[in-house]
Amino acid sequence: MRIGIVSPYSFDVPGGVQNHIVDLAEALIGLGHHVSVLAPADEDSDLPAYVVPAGRALPFPYNGSVARIAFGPVSTARVRRWLARGKFDVLHVHEPMALSLSMLAVLSARGPVVATFHTAMTRSRALSAAQGLLQLVIEKITARIAVSELARKVQVEHLGGGAVEIPNGVAVARYAAAEPLPGWPGAGGALGFLGRFTEPRKGFPVLRSAFVTLARERPGLRLLVAGPGDRAELYRDFPADVRERVEFLGLVSEATKASMLRSVDVYVAPNTGGESFGMILTEAMAAGAAIAASDLDAFRRVLDDGRAGALFPVGDADALTALLAELLDDAPRRAAMSSCAAATVAAFDWPSVAQRVLEVYATAIEAIEGRVVDQEWAEPRPGG
Amino acid sequence: MPRMWWGAGAVAVVVVLSAYLAWTAHRVERVHRRARSAGQALDAHLLRRAAAAAVVAEKAEAVEMYAAARLALDAGTGEREAAENDLTRHLAAVRLDEAEPAMRALWAANRRVVLARQVHTDLVRDALTARRRPVVRLLRMARRYPAPAYFDIVEPALPVPAPAVSPEAANSGTADSRTADSTAAPEGTVPAEGTVPAEAI
Repeated sequence: MRIGIVSPYSFDVPGGVQNHIVDLAEALIGLGHHVSVLAPADEDSDLPAYVVPAGRALPFPYNGSVARIAFGPVSTARVRRWLARGKFDVLHVHEPMALSLSMLAVLSARGPVVATFHTAMTRSRALSAAQGLLQLVIEKITARIAVSELARKVQVEHLGGGAVEIPNGVAVARYAAAEPLPGWPGAGGALGFLGRFTEPRKGFPVLRSAFVTLARERPGLRLLVAGPGDRAELYRDFPADVRERVEFLGLVSEATKASMLRSVDVYVAPNTGGESFGMILTEAMAAGAAIAASDLDAFRRVLDDGRAGALFPVGDADALTALLAELLDDAPRRAAMSSCAAATVAAFDWPSVAQRVLEVYATAIEAIEGRVVDQEWAEPRPGG
Repeated sequence: MPRMWWGAGAVAVVVVLSAYLAWTAHRVERVHRRARSAGQALDAHLLRRAAAAAVVAEKAEAVEMYAAARLALDAGTGEREAAENDLTRHLAAVRLDEAEPAMRALWAANRRVVLARQVHTDLVRDALTARRRPVVRLLRMARRYPAPAYFDIVEPALPVPAPAVSPEAANSGTADSRTADSTAAPEGTVPAEGTVPAEAI
């Protein structure tokens, strides 16, 4: 299949949507499809071979912040040229309801269009006034994908259309192959936490209390923390005798995140609510860490009802302490959980996710053509 | 002199207005064409699902489900929705080894029904929205196209069973074979009318 993907955000700066697009494009190419990605970027920037730069994105005050976007007659001309040259079977745009390359591509498209909605709020105040333009964009979109339940809900309520929920994928191989940090996890055992420790719904105090109790009983036990925040603020709340056994990495890159998850015996997700999906759990599962997580609905689903990771009552530090003690002492149980996790996480691996996206492509194409293409359509075609 | 300017202005207004009307008429035509095409695609996927269900029903020796699948295949216009709802109910209840290829084919067919229905609903909504626009109603631009109707069935999504893969198998690339199989054509499927090989497009 010939697939054209449009990124609204520049590849010159890192971001969640850009990462999603790169991972999806590579998974689709791996399945034997032809993929071209159009994105705002400088002509001379270092880009993967399948990315076509659409010129520099200009800073633009938008929706209360400054967005770097490409919009205007020059960008329109480039989008049209790319569409004409690409002869795509399907056009896949991301976040098309904001003024961006994506919206331009939708307006210029003639064939099937699939749109993916990432953020929960995709409708700006400025654009609410332009209802006619929005309707024109909506009318051209054939099928919609939302990456989370929340994004889907907003899509349904604000834009009046359904959407298929397909979560982000996880690059399982990248996590499984990452090298642990030097010296970790160590003989005394290691716990891990990733996230903004100051944010109440991440539930870090629950883990802190459990760690302090356990660390006093187990002289070798260490805690590895990564995420945005201030080192002094983190250490302030730990008693002096266990403080030096807490390692803080700060904000980490994707590669360090994978290494960090490989460096711990048990990954702890003490969240008290608000997680819509539990992306970090799938990453920890891919890295092969045993997991102790709050018994939230989303976590329970991701962890296959507790088989791929242990659950404890939300916010209960004593229960977490007991659970961690059990897990740290029971290496075979950790190994069993982690191999069950490896099987579960396969469903979240990018190739699996890409297959589901391909089904949406096929549906969009069929809806425009009014006939059902053969099932082979969605299957990998080597060299195709 | 002023009279000439009036004339030029009137001509410009007429040109802009007729361009706008032509464009709107084209939009109305497009949304109706798309809603109809999506309906045909949905129809084909429902047939595929019923055929796949019949295969599973035979294997599972589920007489009632087989009957439901036959009824869904043969249903006329008025009774189609009830027949499909009935089939969905049976599909949710069927118990068969999930490694069974016929079962996987049925799930795949059902997933496609879910998607096709979603897209059909959206495109019908777009067409109905276009019909309600004042200029379209005033000039009766939609009179040549029958109003598209929603295909009103209960959400056909099946509770996806948790992937039951043994830990040993997981380490030997089972994930790949599972995803590849899920898109395989169901055995004994009735090819829908207008089916074309992928290469032809």
